Amino acid sequence: MGTQVKDVIIKPDAPSALLLDKHADYIAAYGSKKDDYEYTLSEYLRMSGIYWGLTVMDLMSQLPRMNRQEIIDFIKACQHDCGGISASIGHDPHLLYTLSAVQILCLYDSVDAIDVDRVVEYVKGLQQEDGSFAGDKWGEIDTRFSFCAVATLALLGKMDMINVDKAVEFVLSCMNFDGGFGCRPGSESHAGQIYCCTGFLSLTGQLHQVNADLLGWWLCERQLPSGGLNGRPEKLPDVCYSWWVLASLKIIGRIHWIDKAKLQTFILACQDEETGGFADRPGDMVDPFHTLFGVAGLSLLGDEQIKPVNPVLCMPEDVLQRIGLQPDLLS
Amino acid sequence: MAESEEEVDVLVQRVVKDIANAFKRNPNIDEIGVIPCPEARYNRSPIVLVENKLGVESWCVKFLLPYVHNKLLLYRQRKHWLDREALVDITCTLLLLNPDFTTAWNVRKELLQCGVLHPEKDLYLGQLALTKFPKSPETWIHRRWVLQQILDQFLAVGHNKNQEQQGEAEQANAERSQQLSDHLARTLHQEMRVCSDAACRYPSNYNAWSHRIWVLQHMAKGNGKVFHDELSSMRLWVSMHVSDHSGFHYRQFLLQELITEHYQTPASATINGSSQHWSSTVPSSSPHQHSCTQTNGELSGAEAASEDDGQLSFTTVLQLFQQEIELCSDLIQSFPGHETLWSHRRHVFYLWNQWKREQQHQCSSRGDNKSIHLNDSDPGMSEVSPQSYAGREESVNGQRHASEPMEVDRVSLPNPHDSKRLKRGVLLPGTLTLTSEHSFVNSILDSCCNPEQRRFAVAYKKWLDTVIGLQS
Repeated sequence: MGTQVKDVIIKPDAPSALLLDKHADYIAAYGSKKDDYEYTLSEYLRMSGIYWGLTVMDLMSQLPRMNRQEIIDFIKACQHDCGGISASIGHDPHLLYTLSAVQILCLYDSVDAIDVDRVVEYVKGLQQEDGSFAGDKWGEIDTRFSFCAVATLALLGKMDMINVDKAVEFVLSCMNFDGGFGCRPGSESHAGQIYCCTGFLSLTGQLHQVNADLLGWWLCERQLPSGGLNGRPEKLPDVCYSWWVLASLKIIGRIHWIDKAKLQTFILACQDEETGGFADRPGDMVDPFHTLFGVAGLSLLGDEQIKPVNPVLCMPEDVLQRIGLQPDLLS
Repeated sequence: MAESEEEVDVLVQRVVKDIANAFKRNPNIDEIGVIPCPEARYNRSPIVLVENKLGVESWCVKFLLPYVHNKLLLYRQRKHWLDREALVDITCTLLLLNPDFTTAWNVRKELLQCGVLHPEKDLYLGQLALTKFPKSPETWIHRRWVLQQILDQFLAVGHNKNQEQQGEAEQANAERSQQLSDHLARTLHQEMRVCSDAACRYPSNYNAWSHRIWVLQHMAKGNGKVFHDELSSMRLWVSMHVSDHSGFHYRQFLLQELITEHYQTPASATINGSSQHWSSTVPSSSPHQHSCTQTNGELSGAEAASEDDGQLSFTTVLQLFQQEIELCSDLIQSFPGHETLWSHRRHVFYLWNQWKREQQHQCSSRGDNKSIHLNDSDPGMSEVSPQSYAGREESVNGQRHASEPMEVDRVSLPNPHDSKRLKRGVLLPGTLTLTSEHSFVNSILDSCCNPEQRRFAVAYKKWLDTVIGLQS
């Protein structure tokens, strides 16, 4: 019986050079030409959308093309009395968008535009007895939110405001036999969750708790014959998983375990030569999310046309240097 | 087609009403979808109800969504007033079109808290949204919140029950408590169905499977029968979805829970043979009438739960592992080249190895002169006690367990109960060892030319040598 390998085939005429100018034009125009319907559909994650767009512009040294004041005013308007920040005006606050907002303000060196103390109180208030973090006041628990909490506090220099030991204990309780992590204790390992958990352990100085060889093994097995990486066994390769797997490998010091040249070929093939931007897979529709992770992945692979990116926070290294934050990496 | 703002207003309000009326007309709607239809047809509602399927014609979505979206956000900013009924209808339409709109679910949470909505209504709405968007993270998150409300209510009644009460109050509370526990058992069952449905609609659906795990952890804690029944019913499902890594992970979770939560270790059996493990948050609907139906030849909950307060015996755990590895071998041979199956094998063998080491550790730490010795040495070299032959050729539940020779050597049993079972001739399956795993891999490599299969087999061998080899 034949099996169908879940992978893509990269066509000979797929893009193989980095089209930076096209990508910058694509992001700069994004949002202005969107019709009501598309814009409405994704408004629930607008703050993260802005973070993706601005970060990739900064990595391409094109941040000045974006409307700084408008964005800062927007973020201010999204901060709620509780201190938390929402995806957009009129939406409810959540840790996901609180982190995105703080990341954007760091890019603009304007953290003081919001009430920082309240943000810190908000994050602190979401920590549970077992050390985990709820995403918002309704109480959903996920290791993603543990990452959001410590990343927000690390960027604000306020990590000491939470019970770090307990937070670490919870994240470690989500570690699996394969060295990976899931969203909660007992959940399946998933490359996105692994990125959050290794990032979390980096920011809290606990990377020695990771079984780097075992986890590195699992992460390397995500690479498919096309060169692209998937997020779990027998899933299709995807540019965003390429970032999460690659960044995790970088954090645990095992990035040299995968075939970098093949991954680069895969990522480049996901560009759209006409519109600019990256898609999840070659030939699909582009979006700002995959555009950021495509460009950031190429940066981690050493492309010198792009600014160096930090694997833990997915932000330009020069921004983190400015605020004096250098998350740990294993060697 | 409606063009002016006023026309859109009128149109959309009518459509929102049509959707609400469709649910009133047919409370059994079980699926939603968008009907491709680029233009409006004269004087006909874009809401179509055929049997239990609710469809919305695609042309109206681009008017409908922005309208309900903006209405809700204006309400949230206190710029526009909506009464409760309108809020229920608007959030319903909105979430069926865009179920990841977190704030709309939050509005419904508030309506639920003040008693305007019933928890079941929201579980139903989520279920429908999942028929079109089976991954939708926010829908799953909302479900967990609603289920937690139901659980809290149950626990609150349980708490009242513990306080001293007399006469009628006590009686009423007992009835209420029984009703709630039946309700909870039904909710659990229904939730498993929703998860299965979403898992069938989208392969390796992380959100559906991690939700299913959450549900068991919160609503069936300690209820071994539920875990056993899940393991049995999943057997067929995974056999038909051999690429679904999440489905197999769920099996691994069940197996791990069964052996860690429900296996009564020899130590706890002698020291405190309590039946606490068996007390459950959700009593199964018929706690003392275990189903005797055999599912797919697997050890049923009844078989496993019939012993000592539902604790698994040593032999039962051995059987669970044996059956799992046999299932895995079968599938690997029948469906070559699936990474998921090889990954499952790693996990099962890892669990087995860990469990075995724990048993050995417990025996040695108790200074037990009857040690468990599950030897990894070459089968040819091992001494096989007469006991280990007991039942070699017997079948349990219609399944033969002696398909391949496996060594059991000098297994002295810590639990007198197990010895009794052996004397009765109950099967003691062979044990898994590194050697038996290596021969399995070699047999695959010798006979298979599928390059993927060979790649996974070699990787498994390497994993055995390094990860397991270093532990043993």
